[in-house]
Amino acid sequence: MLAGAAAAAAAAAVAPQLGCAPLARRRRAATPAEVRRVATACELCPNKCAVLAVVENGQVKKLDPNPASPKSRGMLCARGNAAIKALYDPDRVKQPLIRAGARGEGQWRAVSWDEALDFTAERLQRLRQDHGPEAVLFSSTEGFQEEFFKNFGLAFGSPNILRHPTLCLASVNLAYSMTFGTVPSFDLLNAHYVIMSGANRFESIITPDTMDLIEGTMNRKAKLIYLDPRFTVTAAKADEWYAIRPGTDLAFILAMLHVIIKEQRYDREFVATRCLGLEELAAHVEHYTPAWAEVETEVPAADITRIAREFADAAPRAVYYAGRRSSWYVNDFQMRRGQAILNAIVGNWDRQGGVVPNSRIALGELLFLPWDDPAAPRVDEIDTRFPLAAKGDGAFLQARENVLAGVPYPVKGWMVYKQDPMNALPDRAKTQRLLEAMDFVAVIDTQMSDTAWFADVVLPESMYLERTDPLHMLPGIWPVVVLRQQVVPPLHDTRPNLEIIQGLAQRLGLGEYFEYTIEEWVAEQAAELPLDEPLAHMKQHGVFTPEGAPFYGRTLAPGFRFLTRSGKIELYSQRLAEAGHDPLPVYAPPRPVGEGSFRMVLGRKATHTHASTTNNVWLLEQTPTNDLWLHPEPAARLGIGDGDLVEVASAVGAVRLPARVTPEIRPDCVFMLHGFGKKSKHLRQAHGNGACDADVLVTAWDEVSGNAAFHETVVTVRKVGKEERRA
Amino acid sequence: MRERLGLTREARWALALDARKCIDCKACVVACKAENDVPLHKFRNRINEERGGSYPRLRASFEPEQCHHCASPSCVRVCPTGASYQRDDGLVLVHADDCIGCGYCIIACPYDARFFNPKTRVVDKCTMCVHRVDAGREPACVETCPSRVRLFGDLNDGDGALRRALDARRAQVKKEQTGNDPQLYYLV
Repeated sequence: MLAGAAAAAAAAAVAPQLGCAPLARRRRAATPAEVRRVATACELCPNKCAVLAVVENGQVKKLDPNPASPKSRGMLCARGNAAIKALYDPDRVKQPLIRAGARGEGQWRAVSWDEALDFTAERLQRLRQDHGPEAVLFSSTEGFQEEFFKNFGLAFGSPNILRHPTLCLASVNLAYSMTFGTVPSFDLLNAHYVIMSGANRFESIITPDTMDLIEGTMNRKAKLIYLDPRFTVTAAKADEWYAIRPGTDLAFILAMLHVIIKEQRYDREFVATRCLGLEELAAHVEHYTPAWAEVETEVPAADITRIAREFADAAPRAVYYAGRRSSWYVNDFQMRRGQAILNAIVGNWDRQGGVVPNSRIALGELLFLPWDDPAAPRVDEIDTRFPLAAKGDGAFLQARENVLAGVPYPVKGWMVYKQDPMNALPDRAKTQRLLEAMDFVAVIDTQMSDTAWFADVVLPESMYLERTDPLHMLPGIWPVVVLRQQVVPPLHDTRPNLEIIQGLAQRLGLGEYFEYTIEEWVAEQAAELPLDEPLAHMKQHGVFTPEGAPFYGRTLAPGFRFLTRSGKIELYSQRLAEAGHDPLPVYAPPRPVGEGSFRMVLGRKATHTHASTTNNVWLLEQTPTNDLWLHPEPAARLGIGDGDLVEVASAVGAVRLPARVTPEIRPDCVFMLHGFGKKSKHLRQAHGNGACDADVLVTAWDEVSGNAAFHETVVTVRKVGKEERRA
Repeated sequence: MRERLGLTREARWALALDARKCIDCKACVVACKAENDVPLHKFRNRINEERGGSYPRLRASFEPEQCHHCASPSCVRVCPTGASYQRDDGLVLVHADDCIGCGYCIIACPYDARFFNPKTRVVDKCTMCVHRVDAGREPACVETCPSRVRLFGDLNDGDGALRRALDARRAQVKKEQTGNDPQLYYLV
């Protein structure tokens, strides 16, 4: 057919211009466009990659990677590229909105900023008068302007600042802090042996780890051992993939410790001089044999033994990678502690290819008037419930429980910045109850999230390409300072968060705490950088990074004190014991799933960020919806065919979505992608598209850190319809 | 163009791809859309995937593909108007004003690299970001890739990175039997 077409066309090709003369005349004279390139920093996910925005006649046409950043390593992912569609999304919130109908009904009144700010301030003032400032929750996720929001909550007088870590990485942060006194980075570029569990680094992109791991495994021939109940892209790239029984990673780690200690393959000099508690550890792991771990994990004992040996032999260029979001099981902290201990005893600390404490760059600080510390205790009772946790971040799920129960005091208002608790927390119905129980809810966001949909007022923040943010220093092996600066003026009647906060603060008599502009803030920060014209440099290049190679071994200097109680790396932790926790990680088997049921596992894909990009048409082209991954074995048992509509039900809710019958998941697990099934009808692409995992996820948290435990949900699956998918 | 790039001999642009490094993140696909204003649901490049094996011995591989900018392009041969043409530096392009949208080239391409653009009403394809290449820059897909799968360069530059990569490693082309002499080199 191909040859035929070519032959048939060949005759016509002899005199090409003759038949088409009229068409050939239509050449248009192109008017030269005014092109600007502005250095800024991406905000489609938390990586803060450096971007060079190309602006043609006032339109953002392209976002190129800025090679100057050692963190983003000259790349920009699909989401970063698709930010243009987020900027020009017709579904953006284009002016302040005040709720007109019932909550969640979607009736809004478009109002001026003055009216929206007057309304919000008046409601906040009333709550403060009637119930005290602690009656308002201030919750937010990470971002360059989050600090202003947090400061507003504190200046308002509320102790109830809730940040994202207990929905994300609080357990890993705490585990490494308790062991090494700091949260390190992993030198994947130079490691020769990498073990990864509880992280899917090739689909859940973290810079520079994702790129360094590819470079390391593909070019430098590093070995990657990967444990995951699901066959992910990382599994496909790994040298060895083990479909480990979910929730048993600690058994694998303890057995590795058993082998390494028993065979004396640990770094004896390093452990003797820097670590505390080897004897206790050795006794503790004595009974955690590979044979025992095989039963728990379903990873063959011989492989565990071999991996332990290979890992220890490759050290110090060997890492057990900690991952980022770490909220999986109720013992997540202890699992991460096990990883930290394993890293410690092979002596990979602060060495090339090992686990490396972060380098930093000092930034200036603009001084502003301080406020009094909030008088009331926190509603999440973090001091007593999670005494070791980072207090300033709060414990999100505990806060939800307490507010719903009205203990220890009533909370009646909720301000949300850049966060979508309706999707970020398990059990969406419960979060909705929390929203409905509030006298007042205000949301600051760039889009009408599910949470905004249930708010009383929506204060639209300008999208990242429309605003200038504070400088940000990103610590790491290759630390960097990035500037996010305005690329185009706001398209709609939106404002940067700082100006929204200032508008509220002025109306609440708190204006004096926020008497500065973003330009002053940035200039003060930049002033500390070791450059002749630091501000001009940042505006031109968007990035500052110190000269020279990464620096290893600072903490290996004789007499260095680790920021732990003993000043050493704590294999055994007295502080944990005193707080009533296991001083060494004790294995507890996961709750059994039960016959006919499945464990629901979560994960991410490189084409979407959490629940924030499912209205982006360029990303939806790549990943248009979600489905339920189900192994062929149980699918056959349940009579479910690929594409059939299924209902997934847990103790808290049920959703319907098409089944993807695939061998790429364990037979006892199911998986669905996060971020779909939006309630917000304002998001026309996302609303009703797919199913929302948060509808099904049950509430559970790690006992030590308070970190949400997202893999504790058991579901049943049944077929409800035939092949409604794939039209 | 050659003067602008300071070239003293003819360039022959080509791509080498190390598909093992592809993590199927779609950065190249979305970057191409932005760079070239490609309409929704149409694509100038793609990532092919192949999955196989049986649980738990599974495998999956990913491989970016776009126009191969063949040395002997069948699309150019079949074009009745001369709209499809090849530059001296090897890039296969379409003169939009001369294209009548007959679609012969779409059929003639062995790599499914061409499509009818409903917005411009003419045939569309990867240009290797010719506007960037002529300005001395890399194509958008090459530049944006997190795992540096693609290597863009001049085959005639003996000291160039592309030539060196192809000298150092074995490479395959797809569907050699078509006689199109494709110029996307998949490193093995």
